[in-house]
Amino acid sequence: MPEPVILSVGASPVGESELTGRDLFSVALAEAFADLPDPAEIVDALYVGNQSESYEHQIMYGTLLAEWAGLRHTPAERVEGCAAAGALALRHAVRDVRSGECDVVLACGVEKMTAGGTAGATDALSAAFDRALEQRSGITAPSQYALLAKRYCHETGASEEDLARVAVKNHANATKNPRAQYQSEIDAETVLDSSYVARPLKLFDCAPVSDGAAVVVVASAEAAETLVDSEETVRASGVGAGSNNLAVAERDLTFVEGAHRAATQAYEEAGIEASEIDIAEVHDAFTVCEPLLAEAVGFAPRGTGVQCALDPGDRSDGWSDVQVSSSGGLKARGHPIGATGLYQAVEAYEQLTGRAGDRQVEDAERALLVNEGGVADAVTVAHVLEVA
Amino acid sequence: MAGRGDGSPKRVRPEELTAESPLTLPGFFAALSDGRLLGGRCDECEQAFVPPRPACYACGSREIAVEEQPREGTIVADTEVARPAPAFAADAPLTIAVIELDSGARLTGRVAADYEAVEIGTPVELTVRELTDREKEFALDHEGEWPLHVFEPA
Ligand SMILES: [Zn+2]
Repeated sequence: MPEPVILSVGASPVGESELTGRDLFSVALAEAFADLPDPAEIVDALYVGNQSESYEHQIMYGTLLAEWAGLRHTPAERVEGCAAAGALALRHAVRDVRSGECDVVLACGVEKMTAGGTAGATDALSAAFDRALEQRSGITAPSQYALLAKRYCHETGASEEDLARVAVKNHANATKNPRAQYQSEIDAETVLDSSYVARPLKLFDCAPVSDGAAVVVVASAEAAETLVDSEETVRASGVGAGSNNLAVAERDLTFVEGAHRAATQAYEEAGIEASEIDIAEVHDAFTVCEPLLAEAVGFAPRGTGVQCALDPGDRSDGWSDVQVSSSGGLKARGHPIGATGLYQAVEAYEQLTGRAGDRQVEDAERALLVNEGGVADAVTVAHVLEVA
Repeated sequence: MAGRGDGSPKRVRPEELTAESPLTLPGFFAALSDGRLLGGRCDECEQAFVPPRPACYACGSREIAVEEQPREGTIVADTEVARPAPAFAADAPLTIAVIELDSGARLTGRVAADYEAVEIGTPVELTVRELTDREKEFALDHEGEWPLHVFEPA
């Protein structure tokens, strides 16, 4: 089986942009292909993670981006899975290479969320909920996660201040990420003094509305050898994916089963244990997600996930030494929905190839990416990436 | 019988899945309009769920009985939605909760009480009402007559 590697990445800055989705993609593609031949010479297929056509009134993003990359006639398709669309696109690319059918595949993600304002984003995101009972009750994305946060705090004794510290940590990390939407540190008081969006979650517990696009170039190790030096490649050694019930009410509210299963599958494929992961980008769309996911993927004993906000040396026994969300996470790097899973891969690629600048995690050799769509684990994709 | 309301577990046949069947949303909401909240119960593992559907999410079995659900339940988690979807903006803030019915089925719904007045563990009871004119504006054509489930503190 051909071994898939990532050989190059590119991504636009995250935030409110004057550029449209296709333009943001052009920025990402130009960076990813700065030192590569034209895509037309090497790319066999293209996948695009894109959450919603309601922002730009545009579907057919596969065809559009293929055209913008000079890839007319190349098989290209949009992948939909709400905020997991990006990692689903990456998974398709990895599997196409593994199958031997393709040598080089582009995994892309794009979202122009600011096009419809906050109301437009609220409405577009609510389409990810069950229409029959959830949407019709007036629930919003923050309030779905607030239900998880309320239950998590109830069962574990975690406080709103504990959750606030996750935001503080991720904002601090983002100040070292030139692509991040937020470049300023905050303190816990800033989070705690911000207004409730859906109790117990406040404005600063929430990832922002973002524009952005990212491109990840996946190839067989053999094809990559002809294009870049081997130290510029990162192995995509494990993939896991799965769905869970669409309605949050029918899931375990304090154990993210879908993420547990996806990560376990990715670890097994890579032949590693959770404790061997050095860095992780997890789906911290809301502060409560990071502790929930830290527990689900095996970094932390149940009920201790909020220690993800602490330095590894200050955590309790049973916690791994993993650094979580070195990019600033969804919370502070930003969350352009369909591109988020690929921004996670971009961060891991830069960390594992020693290009993360001021935020470089020393000796980082293995990364876990966890990208979720719908509310929490309605769909989850996990990837393990390793130094070549 | 077309409605399959007899509770007998068996695999559903294609011709049974009409708009009168509680295994379809029109059938489910028609029963709710009559004040009956219907759920499915898996014949293999006993899992209960709302609305009824042709397969069990817990074990995958397609032997599903349709049963009327109890109206009583308990709040598992709750929140106050400061800025709800546009259709409900006039009613903000909304109290919304995950409810576990006494059958074990869980569903999300509005709670007709202030957030401060309820908490995890508060017993609630199902009520059913028609959509308001404002809510109907946001409903799709096929949803206009579907009622809304709302829980009240018991
Ligand atoms: Zn079952």
